[in-house]
Amino acid sequence: MEEVAEKDKAKHAASDQKEVVIEIKGLKKSFGKKQVLKNINLSVKRGENVVILGRSGTGKSVTIQCVVGMLTPDGGTVTVLGQEVEQLNDKELKELRTKIGFLFQSAALYDSMTVRENLEFALKRVMRVTNQSELKKRVKEMLENVGLPDAAEKMPSDLSGGMRKRIGLARTLIVHPEIMLYDEPTTGLDPITSREISQLILDMQRKYKTTSIIITHDMDCARVVSDRVLIMDDGEYKAEGSFDELSKSKDELVKSYFI
Amino acid sequence: MAEATITTGWRKWLESVGEQGVFFMRFVRNLFAGGFEWNEFVRQCYEIGYRSLTLVGITSFIMGLVLILQLRPTLVGFGAESMLPHTLAVSVIREIGPVITGIICAGKIASSIGAELGSMKVTEQIDAMEVSGANSVQYLVVTRILATSFMIPLLAMIGDLISLVGGFIALNLTDDISLTLYLHKCIAALDYTDYMPALIKTFFFGFAIGFVGCYKGYHSDHGTESVGVAANSAVVTSSLWIFFIDMLVVQVTSLLFYK
Repeated sequence: MEEVAEKDKAKHAASDQKEVVIEIKGLKKSFGKKQVLKNINLSVKRGENVVILGRSGTGKSVTIQCVVGMLTPDGGTVTVLGQEVEQLNDKELKELRTKIGFLFQSAALYDSMTVRENLEFALKRVMRVTNQSELKKRVKEMLENVGLPDAAEKMPSDLSGGMRKRIGLARTLIVHPEIMLYDEPTTGLDPITSREISQLILDMQRKYKTTSIIITHDMDCARVVSDRVLIMDDGEYKAEGSFDELSKSKDELVKSYFI
Repeated sequence: MAEATITTGWRKWLESVGEQGVFFMRFVRNLFAGGFEWNEFVRQCYEIGYRSLTLVGITSFIMGLVLILQLRPTLVGFGAESMLPHTLAVSVIREIGPVITGIICAGKIASSIGAELGSMKVTEQIDAMEVSGANSVQYLVVTRILATSFMIPLLAMIGDLISLVGGFIALNLTDDISLTLYLHKCIAALDYTDYMPALIKTFFFGFAIGFVGCYKGYHSDHGTESVGVAANSAVVTSSLWIFFIDMLVVQVTSLLFYK
């Protein structure tokens, strides 16, 4: 069971620790007349956990949607694992997406399928795993990792908010992505469950050596998971540093997040 | 002001036509792309075909029964009551059976597909499929359109038979006719120019129902209200398409067979 994770760990560890896996330069995006992203520049190195903080509507989610090619930028470039996202054709984009995991705010579980079918969906269709015992093994491993070993035959409607997030995380990690993008992973959860999810994100990042961008409003989550924190306001990054550095900042905007 | 509204309306309509063209091309491309989702197709055939059978059966039975009861006084007036099975068979097989089945299925199936896909869109389930690298069009759209295209003709055929049973019972309420004579008269009244165009048009009805339902659901805006709008719009649009296709097929059939 540990073999797959170990294999993945070795694969990722072999890569240069300093390698930049996500490079965003001069990113601009507007919706109608509203310019959401004005000039975003960001480099994320392999194995790094970057947390983006910011008020609602400042364009945090738009940034990671551009990273995964869900939105096309109006200007600037987004390079992921050495490939410029806007230049990719459909096939290349699909190929790149197999290396990126995206955890939606709502977890976005397929509600007509059981938890097992949710987890097997991308495994069968994207990773082309057809061997039933391999499928079972990977589902079992992932459910144990997220602390829900008995949830395989449950429907999403039978799960609580925290359980849905855990299953969403398991579904994303089961294909062993190199990059994880989290869109407000702890929103709508009670403080205890939020802490558990934050710890789970960190544990999974350590286990699978993923590179992550985490969008959140939750300062506890930011403290637990971040290597680096960026504060976004009005479509631009206003501050950057480690959680501890920013917590001591004298800047009014930065201070407002740490009160 | 009114001119601007009309221009915006036309522009939106043209945009929608363009989007439908693009959606159709995506469907065709994915139809031949390989990796057909057989399990989902069979599940959809069951949901669309088997689950609609009772409704189609009851309606068709009543239609057959009512048609005989309505036609009888007129034909008796001409001394042509022996023509009742003939008249019923031709009108049910050529026109009433396919159209009634089409309209019922537009109400039941197009709305269900529109609401289901609309809800999946709103809750980011379709986005989740896409960002995982899986092909959401192949899984959700191709299977549903093919299932409606194959199941609606089947339902229409079964509905036609049930209508004839309803007609037989209605005839025996007032007159006395044996099943053998009734069937003989019905079959003698029909040739391939009656049932072939009817069968072909039900295939197009099915395609229209599946396509419109999928298109409306897939293009819902983000918001719960849009799920209702998608379902409602799917019913209205597919019902209109059914009448339009019917008119077209009848015109072509008349030119080919009934000069």
